[in-house]
Amino acid sequence: MGKKKSEVYSVEVNGIKDIETTNEGDGKEKYRGLKDHLGHKKDHQKELKKELDLDDHKLNAKELEDKYGTNIIRGLTSTKAAEILARDGPNALSPPKETSEIIKFLKQMVGGFSILLWAGAVLCWIAFGIQFAKDKSASMDNVYLGFVLALVVIFTGIFAYYQEAKSTNIIASFSKMIPRQALVIRDGEKKEIPAGQLVVGDIVEIKGGDQIPADIRILASHGCKVDNSSLTGESEAQSRSCDFTHENPLETKNIGFYSTTCLEGTATGMVINTGDRTIIGRIASLASGVGNEKTPIAIEIEHFVHIVAGVAVSIGVIFFIIAVSMKYPVLESIIFLIGIIVANVPEGLLAAVTVSLSLTAKRMAKKNCLVKNLEAVETLGSTSIICSDKTGTLTQNRMTVAHLWFDNQIYQADTSEDQEAQIFDQSSATWASLSKIVTLCNRAEFRPGQETVPIMKKIVVGDASETALLKFSEVIMGDIMETRKRNRKVAEIPFNSTNKFQLSIHETDDPNDKRFLLVMKGAPERILEKCSTIMINGQEQPLNESSAEAFQTAYMELGGLGERVLGFCHLYLPEDEFPDTYPFDVETMNFPTSDLCFVGLLSLIDPPRSTVPDAVTKCRSAGIKVIMVTGDHPITAKAIAKSVGIISANSETVEDIAKRLNVPVEQVNKRDAKAAVVNGMELKEMSQEQLDEVLINHTEIVFARTSPQQKLIIVEGCQRQDAVVAVTGDGVNDSPALKKADIGIAMGIAGSDAAKNAADMVLLDDNFASIVTGVEEGRLIFDNLKKTIAFTLTKNIAELCPFLIFIIAGIPLPIGTITILFIDLGTDIIPSIALAYEKAESDIMNRKPRHKKKDRLVNQQLALYSYLHIGILQSLGAFLAYFTVYTEQGFRPTRLIFLRSEWEDGNINDLEDSYGQEWTRYQRKYLEWIGYTSFFVAIMVQQIADLIIRKTRRNSIFQQGLFRNKVIWIGIASQIIIALILSYGFGSITAMNFTTLRVQYWFVAIPYAIVIWLYDEFRKLLIRRYPGSWWDKNMYY
Amino acid sequence: MAALQEKKTCSQRMEEFRHYCWNPDTGQLLGRTLSKWVWISLYYVAFYVVMSGLFALAIYTLMCTIDPYTPDYQDQLKSPGVTLRPDVYGERGLEIFYNVSDKTSWKDLTQTLHTFLSGYTPAAQEENINCSFEQYFIQKEFRAPNHTKFSCKFTADMLQNCSGLTDPNFGFEEGKPCFIIKMNRIVNFLPSNNNTAPRVDCTFLEENHKDFTPLEVDYYPSNGTFSLHYFPYYGKKAQPHYSNPLVAAKFLNIPKNKEVIIVCKIIAENVSFDNPHDPYEGKVEFKLKIQK
Repeated sequence: MGKKKSEVYSVEVNGIKDIETTNEGDGKEKYRGLKDHLGHKKDHQKELKKELDLDDHKLNAKELEDKYGTNIIRGLTSTKAAEILARDGPNALSPPKETSEIIKFLKQMVGGFSILLWAGAVLCWIAFGIQFAKDKSASMDNVYLGFVLALVVIFTGIFAYYQEAKSTNIIASFSKMIPRQALVIRDGEKKEIPAGQLVVGDIVEIKGGDQIPADIRILASHGCKVDNSSLTGESEAQSRSCDFTHENPLETKNIGFYSTTCLEGTATGMVINTGDRTIIGRIASLASGVGNEKTPIAIEIEHFVHIVAGVAVSIGVIFFIIAVSMKYPVLESIIFLIGIIVANVPEGLLAAVTVSLSLTAKRMAKKNCLVKNLEAVETLGSTSIICSDKTGTLTQNRMTVAHLWFDNQIYQADTSEDQEAQIFDQSSATWASLSKIVTLCNRAEFRPGQETVPIMKKIVVGDASETALLKFSEVIMGDIMETRKRNRKVAEIPFNSTNKFQLSIHETDDPNDKRFLLVMKGAPERILEKCSTIMINGQEQPLNESSAEAFQTAYMELGGLGERVLGFCHLYLPEDEFPDTYPFDVETMNFPTSDLCFVGLLSLIDPPRSTVPDAVTKCRSAGIKVIMVTGDHPITAKAIAKSVGIISANSETVEDIAKRLNVPVEQVNKRDAKAAVVNGMELKEMSQEQLDEVLINHTEIVFARTSPQQKLIIVEGCQRQDAVVAVTGDGVNDSPALKKADIGIAMGIAGSDAAKNAADMVLLDDNFASIVTGVEEGRLIFDNLKKTIAFTLTKNIAELCPFLIFIIAGIPLPIGTITILFIDLGTDIIPSIALAYEKAESDIMNRKPRHKKKDRLVNQQLALYSYLHIGILQSLGAFLAYFTVYTEQGFRPTRLIFLRSEWEDGNINDLEDSYGQEWTRYQRKYLEWIGYTSFFVAIMVQQIADLIIRKTRRNSIFQQGLFRNKVIWIGIASQIIIALILSYGFGSITAMNFTTLRVQYWFVAIPYAIVIWLYDEFRKLLIRRYPGSWWDKNMYY
Repeated sequence: MAALQEKKTCSQRMEEFRHYCWNPDTGQLLGRTLSKWVWISLYYVAFYVVMSGLFALAIYTLMCTIDPYTPDYQDQLKSPGVTLRPDVYGERGLEIFYNVSDKTSWKDLTQTLHTFLSGYTPAAQEENINCSFEQYFIQKEFRAPNHTKFSCKFTADMLQNCSGLTDPNFGFEEGKPCFIIKMNRIVNFLPSNNNTAPRVDCTFLEENHKDFTPLEVDYYPSNGTFSLHYFPYYGKKAQPHYSNPLVAAKFLNIPKNKEVIIVCKIIAENVSFDNPHDPYEGKVEFKLKIQK
């Protein structure tokens, strides 16, 4: 068996052999999930296999000393340690390989619209080149414009890069927050050093509660137990000793693994692997190979960029052809093309989207969701299935007394997080006896120096059940340590798995009572065997059949709740047989351990967090399926699932139905059962289709007794249903599942570094409810991004139409390319970000998650409504301003048509207007700039209206409240102030093409702004009035 | 973060596109059935008709506020521009280069002048009245026929030697060319607040002319003034036959085979010639090179 296993081990890591081999033994199965994903990294693996030939567990202490040049007693010398550190590097997992910063930066430079703008810039320079070749006096305008476009690309690229770097830094700083310490022996002295400084050959000491700082070979151990769950997924504690027990390094008892925790006892060990060379390090680095693919929002943005770029290029090309066929020179046609591209590309939008996402990320961080990848913010919102861990995420991750049974009655205890008193009936004398047993028969102790800490938060030395009992009794009776002092312990037998009980003998605190008190707790059936009487209302009564039956019923009931039940009994030892000086000997057990008096039962559970049931209900109404995936026993899992509402009160599993109808399970129609509890063993047997069937047919699913690798299978199953899957995880072996998930959520407190590395999000408080607030934020940002994009796209038409009319009708150019850039990157930036602060229009948690292929960020309705409705209205308003200026200054619309060639001819210095006045070319140029400025101001004014209408998509603006989002008003103020500065401040700088404007021209477009607002209110009114109508389908975006 | 990537082959994409263009199952053409297309087109037509109506109404209202005789604002026309005939533009502004002995090199220049002056023949000026008073011709009422105002005659013969009547070559042949200076029309513009007529003053641009001998010029009409009775201009509608007064300058001592820069300014109280942003305001600069 041993040999086989070791073979299996190598199979797992190099992933070459077949899955069948892995099915043979228990240890192998753990790596099954990993395998598929690691299979393709072959070259990497050869190297790994070599490294994995770990034989340190077979060596004895002497050989180890020789191998690592160390001394077991004195440790390494500091100089040697420093040498090795320099050779091997620090003992830390290197973060997954990042794309180099330059690549990241360049990606930003060419991604999105950048390509289009680069093309525009290059066209500008080419145009200038041609002009210059023809005529040495060519104006430099095109060169400037090219530079401006290039600057825009570089600037937005730097900005996006900076934003991304900033969010990466958050997580980096987070993981560095708690430097771990290790107790190491060097130069014959014990020293506390940061765990990162450990090197191979160091002798380290670990004790209960520590995380093992590196892979260590145990040299000495005292009752040392470790929790290997982060590595193997097995939550049962495993003992560690210095004996070589197994060929497979993973199975042998004398190796402790990096990042696993020591639960109790102490051990001394020699470091045999550090950092990435540890077993965990290798698994983690392999796990990071699971592809990092595009987030839903990235796909949406790409989709949007495609739409806009498509529109830009096609309109550009169409008009290029029109211009050429209208006998415009090719050179001029190229310049038109540039104008069309610049007008069509929302230069500032991607920056605004980034800012909006990072604002949401910040908001989520405040609510304990730390987002590593900005785009994951939205992914959470589109989540349709959450695969959640049980322990720690849904539950409080601490055992707590949930029920008591004494006097033939079940009492319920308070299991909330911050209990200060228990309110069940404590008047019975039986409770007095029971409480004494609970207090005394307990080895757990509070760590000293925590007087001011609330009881529930005090740190306890001891195992989980004992801790629970200690805290329970401390809450009820106060100062337990004092009680214990008064009842001195004279003998003790600790719990062990053969006895299945724990016993201690105490003096009593009653000075008149010289008897000893023997107290015992343990597995209820074992305890009952040892009893002949039972205490009812403080009276000892013989244990007859009916009381035994009452016990059985209570035991079954509590066990059925998934709780761990403990029995308690006691015996006052007769004074004459056991005098003061009686030498109790625990080896020979020279005292009675039968015919005791049974007192009661206590049941323990890791109770759900109090916020979770609400959160689960919210998820359900939000159309999110919550699936529990746990390594726990199915009964416990089901009980917790029921108490948090993952399995709702009235739904049944196939087994429940079978039980109710009293028919075999096979006869039940699986579709009748809403809920399902699937065991890990069953899951192993299932084919892909069967799993799919389970996932489709049942809405409430619990996977119990699963290994972390099966999580990956479950995630893949969910993804086959086209779901966006969020997965929580903490162990190293969860990392493939976290990577595979659309959004991996690592636990901030319990999570391992590998899990945090693999995840997209870190839950700082490990609380499931935080995920739900995250979902809410994610959905909100999706809605708000729609608004931002709709807002930004609208004015593109108002920027584009001038060029089209200019080309076709030959009017003087209404707005210049530079001016357009001042709208896109000036007045419109802050308002578009302000929309990210908009509150939800209705309860966004009451609708289904968006379908990732059908509910697009930018859909046809949004594009059409922005471009062809509001955009056209805006263009008309802006043209009204344009014609007003030209008319009032002397050029009536009729005069402007087809005036272009004369207007732009620098050799005509006496161009006649409608009044017969004659204009020089420069006078015309300034008039043109007044036109630009007024067109710009008109767009700005109408964008204010656009901003206000975009606050809502369905509700009236009055339902939403005009003043709830203050940032909108900052946005509006910024629009006006920037426009004022451009017009009056920079009006004299000719390169900017702005001029001061007569006051009344600022107001020309206001009627159109009002029309825009009215039209949109009308649209929303009809949408609300006639849901599902033709109007709703075509006008709701 | 994973697997939302939709990897499709090119043929799949083409198939999808074809399906989009025409979906035989639902009868959808480009995503809509025919009747839906009709509906949506009807809506758009209606929407745009209403919008165009609204825009037309807005423009109509705008036109109603406009005075047909005078523009509302003359923000860019504080001071008139000045133009030159003949006007040949080179790389940097006006450049008049010709060779005295090569007739073809100046034939076009004189032709320009002839064409330009064709608007100033007695026949062309027939509708205008003769004016001899040397002061502003202020007309409050529309006394002229067809509810217009009177304009004063300016005929080519007032330019005497530069009229092209006595010397059809405008002096180009002997290297003493005539140039015609025209001041741009601006409605209601008065060159000065007193009764001083605006005068043309042509000089060499000093900086480019080291051995400075002042330019000798003969102005026509004499003194190079624009008579005040041509001002103010009341606009095209009030004065449909108005023609700008002209001044001709005959340069007598242009050095041969040398490029000179000449600037002709209008000297008048309300005419500025030092706007750095507009070189054509109140003055005209040009390069002149006469070869022999």
